[in-house]
Amino acid sequence: MHTLWLVIQREFVSNVLTSRFMIGFVVCVLSTAVAVFVQVDDYEKRLAGYNTAVREAEIEAQEWDLYVNIKPKAHRKPNPLSIFNVGSENDGANTVTVELGKPVFELPFPIWEAPTQKRGSDNPFLAMFLTVDVVFIFKIVLSALAILFAYNTISGEREDGTLKLVLSNSIPRDTVVLGKYLGGMLSLFPIVLVSLIVALLIAVSSPVTDFDGNAVAHIVLIFGVSLLYVSTWYLLGLVLSVWTKEAATTLILSMFIWVILTSVHSNVVTFAVDKFSPRQSEPNFQVLQPAFEVWDQFKNERDAYIKQRGYEDLQGSISWEPGTNSTGMGTSSMSGGYFIIERYRVTNIDKADTTIFQEILGYQEQLRVEYADKTEEILNKPAEEQERNAKFADALSRISFADVYHFAAGAMAGTDRQRYNDFIESARAYKREIVEYLKDKEAFSSRAWFSTDKGTAELEDLPVFQHRRLSLSESFSDASVDILILLAWNIVLIMTAYVSFLRYDMS
Amino acid sequence: MILHIATKEIHHNLTTLRFALMIILLPVLFMANALIYSLGDNGYTTQIDAYNRQVEQNRKHIKEQADMSLAELALRGPGDIPKRPSRLIFCAGGVDEVVSRAIKMRSDGNISRSSGVEDEDYAWRHPLKLEYQIMPAGSNSTRYIKINWVFIGVLMSFFAILFTFDGIAGERTRGTLSLIMSNTVSRGQVLLGKYLGAFVTLMVPLIIGILMNLLIILLVGNIPFNSGDWLRILGIVGLFGLHISIFIFLGLLFSSRVSNAITSLVWLLLTWVCLAFVFPSLLGIFVSNLNPIPSVDEISMQRRAQLDQIDDEWREGPSPKLKKSPAIERPSVARLWATYFTEISDTETQIADGHIDRQLQQVQLARDLTQISPIATFQYAMEGLANTSIVGYMNFVKQARRYRQTFIDFVKTEDRGDPESLHIYPVKEGLSQKPVDPAGVPVFTEQISYRSVLSQVGLLVLFNLLFFILAQVSFLKTDVK
Repeated sequence: MHTLWLVIQREFVSNVLTSRFMIGFVVCVLSTAVAVFVQVDDYEKRLAGYNTAVREAEIEAQEWDLYVNIKPKAHRKPNPLSIFNVGSENDGANTVTVELGKPVFELPFPIWEAPTQKRGSDNPFLAMFLTVDVVFIFKIVLSALAILFAYNTISGEREDGTLKLVLSNSIPRDTVVLGKYLGGMLSLFPIVLVSLIVALLIAVSSPVTDFDGNAVAHIVLIFGVSLLYVSTWYLLGLVLSVWTKEAATTLILSMFIWVILTSVHSNVVTFAVDKFSPRQSEPNFQVLQPAFEVWDQFKNERDAYIKQRGYEDLQGSISWEPGTNSTGMGTSSMSGGYFIIERYRVTNIDKADTTIFQEILGYQEQLRVEYADKTEEILNKPAEEQERNAKFADALSRISFADVYHFAAGAMAGTDRQRYNDFIESARAYKREIVEYLKDKEAFSSRAWFSTDKGTAELEDLPVFQHRRLSLSESFSDASVDILILLAWNIVLIMTAYVSFLRYDMS
Repeated sequence: MILHIATKEIHHNLTTLRFALMIILLPVLFMANALIYSLGDNGYTTQIDAYNRQVEQNRKHIKEQADMSLAELALRGPGDIPKRPSRLIFCAGGVDEVVSRAIKMRSDGNISRSSGVEDEDYAWRHPLKLEYQIMPAGSNSTRYIKINWVFIGVLMSFFAILFTFDGIAGERTRGTLSLIMSNTVSRGQVLLGKYLGAFVTLMVPLIIGILMNLLIILLVGNIPFNSGDWLRILGIVGLFGLHISIFIFLGLLFSSRVSNAITSLVWLLLTWVCLAFVFPSLLGIFVSNLNPIPSVDEISMQRRAQLDQIDDEWREGPSPKLKKSPAIERPSVARLWATYFTEISDTETQIADGHIDRQLQQVQLARDLTQISPIATFQYAMEGLANTSIVGYMNFVKQARRYRQTFIDFVKTEDRGDPESLHIYPVKEGLSQKPVDPAGVPVFTEQISYRSVLSQVGLLVLFNLLFFILAQVSFLKTDVK
């Protein structure tokens, strides 16, 4: 035990005293500070945009006096942890407008009156610069540092001739490997810790961030995974250091692997899957075609129902008091092909009996909601295809543990693509909630659906979209696969280092 | 003597592990690049097809409107202005990978708002303005580094470091440096010989890779290169050379400064990681944060407020200036409407132009400052030659604005030729109702200038000189033992 401690201590001291430690420390802390500074600013902007959007939606909601007019919105709340890992926080829609007769879906190209909207970014040209956040810096800089600390552990000592001296003592080889690993990690630990503390301090000093216990727990978890990631790189360096005879070769080889794993592999994979997706969906408006047919069916079914009730058309179901000089019904219809929303205006409504008309509307509008759901299924397909492609690319990227770390951090920060899909899914759930709410109120067949003459729509207790953050255990289980992969790499590498060093030929 | 040292250096390099690694990686990347850009969707072929469709659509649109009347053409405009896709997008993606490049110059949809005054039934069009549709081109475009020639260039700088880190320091530890110096050879010659050796070792595989890449693109991708493109590719090879040479000098500089090779490699790698990954993006975004621009919300609020004010004054306020709809018999009313339209169009143009100008300036400033990193300078020079740079986009915007003016001038000139017209632009009733010859309508042609690349090339040469001098001085001062 004592010897192990000696090896650790010696390794730690020899690392900390080098210039690469100081430089690595300064580079890592400085770049983390700048990255957090930039990301806090970006988060503030996103939050301001979100607050404006929510406020505007509230004002808009006050103007709804008819049930047919309601258009509640689901806003994606900016995630405070995006300061540490931007992930897909800036991608995709951030507002979903829930309209009863409209499906909720996303398409890769803009369409008229799309239900999912993205609030514009202040300067889209800035996307030319890579997004740099804490996780990115850890992924690139810390891993490089880990290699720079590990490359000469064995091969360097061998070149210096000190390895023989060490082993001539009564120290078992496994103690040497373990000591070197722990010593190296001990010298990397303060760099990770200080960087993260600096990041936290800058993030907390901004007036808009309020990290609750849950968020802090997530950050601690990200810290833990970052250590695991750094340890993977350190072990890789150690293994290569055992396998090669010269320190320079170790460094060249490990830096080459570093370049491949951190920047070549995942980019080639994502890029290739993106451009040669095995399942390619129609990139143009043709995907909308089947949706148009659904709405033709809707019209047929609706007309059939009106006929079955014994009326020629909708207007026929309204009866006016005798002697009303101008009778009639106006329909204003809005259609983007993938939806049809109709509003009705009855002339001289105070003299009209609309009981049956309301009954038919009650049937028709619920039917419209059902058809909107059918369209949703069809229009969701391109997004599903895209998601499958992306998943495929992710799976291939996981070969590199740099990307495994990236995914794990994203899952824990709640900024990965899965969370975004959850947002769209919860917007759909919100729509169902609204539909249920209106059904309970019998709003579909009420007079306030189309006219305000006998009271306006009562929407005081209309459900509001609730944003849910994941609890620690939920995010942990999301990230568990990736964490396990990292852990597995660690175990495999430490075993390899151990076995290789046992068989190490000292001559 | 220089040649002798260089040949020895090359022979030595060929047998090393790093050379083997480079020889494996380079062809893989070049092949991936060529296949992705020539076969994958959104490659040049798809883009040029879309571009040609747009041009054809514009031609039809202009013909239809011109056959109807000059007034119709004047109000509807000539259609969207697409930017011709670059054939060299596989070299450097630049702006083209981030935003779609088309500027809308078309006015569609009639507007009529009831306001209790007589213009209730008058349907009009908003006058022609430019709309910059800068939406993100792809959802995940920002998070990934593109596998293009710029990226390969960045990797080449990495290899340049690997080939030079032990150039001086390695010989010193082996003791061969003092042996070399005992011959009648100057230190400058040794340095140049080492430089040449590394340069040739790096450039030859690179050029072979480039040729392979081009061959695949020509055979499979079906992209027709013209002489201009070949010249630009030649220029790009030159840029690669300049870029690689900077890092060779940098490597030799570090190698002569420190006592052992491995320390020099550690320092070089740290420098390289900062220059390649952290520095350009971080500094770029940091600088643009220091120079904030109004948010999209603020801009759209400002726009709405100003337009509402104009509308209040002219049409919707308590005493609107526009009470009647314009007609040929009522030239004074038409003139009032013209002032109204011009005011709207001036306000909108001013806000939209101001917004995009500020966005572009913000990026431009950030890019200018990041050029302290030679890798960033190299990237911008590549983008400049591939015509996907931010400066190229700025030029495109400028030319689109000029085209809008040309188009309006054309309408006014044509209109003057019709004696029956009231000559009131931009009111439909105030313009000539006769058809015009569609062939006479000006068509947008983009003038591409590569002048901006010169400054970057100058900067790259400067970097070369700087590091050459530093390496030379440092080697002169170095102790050979």
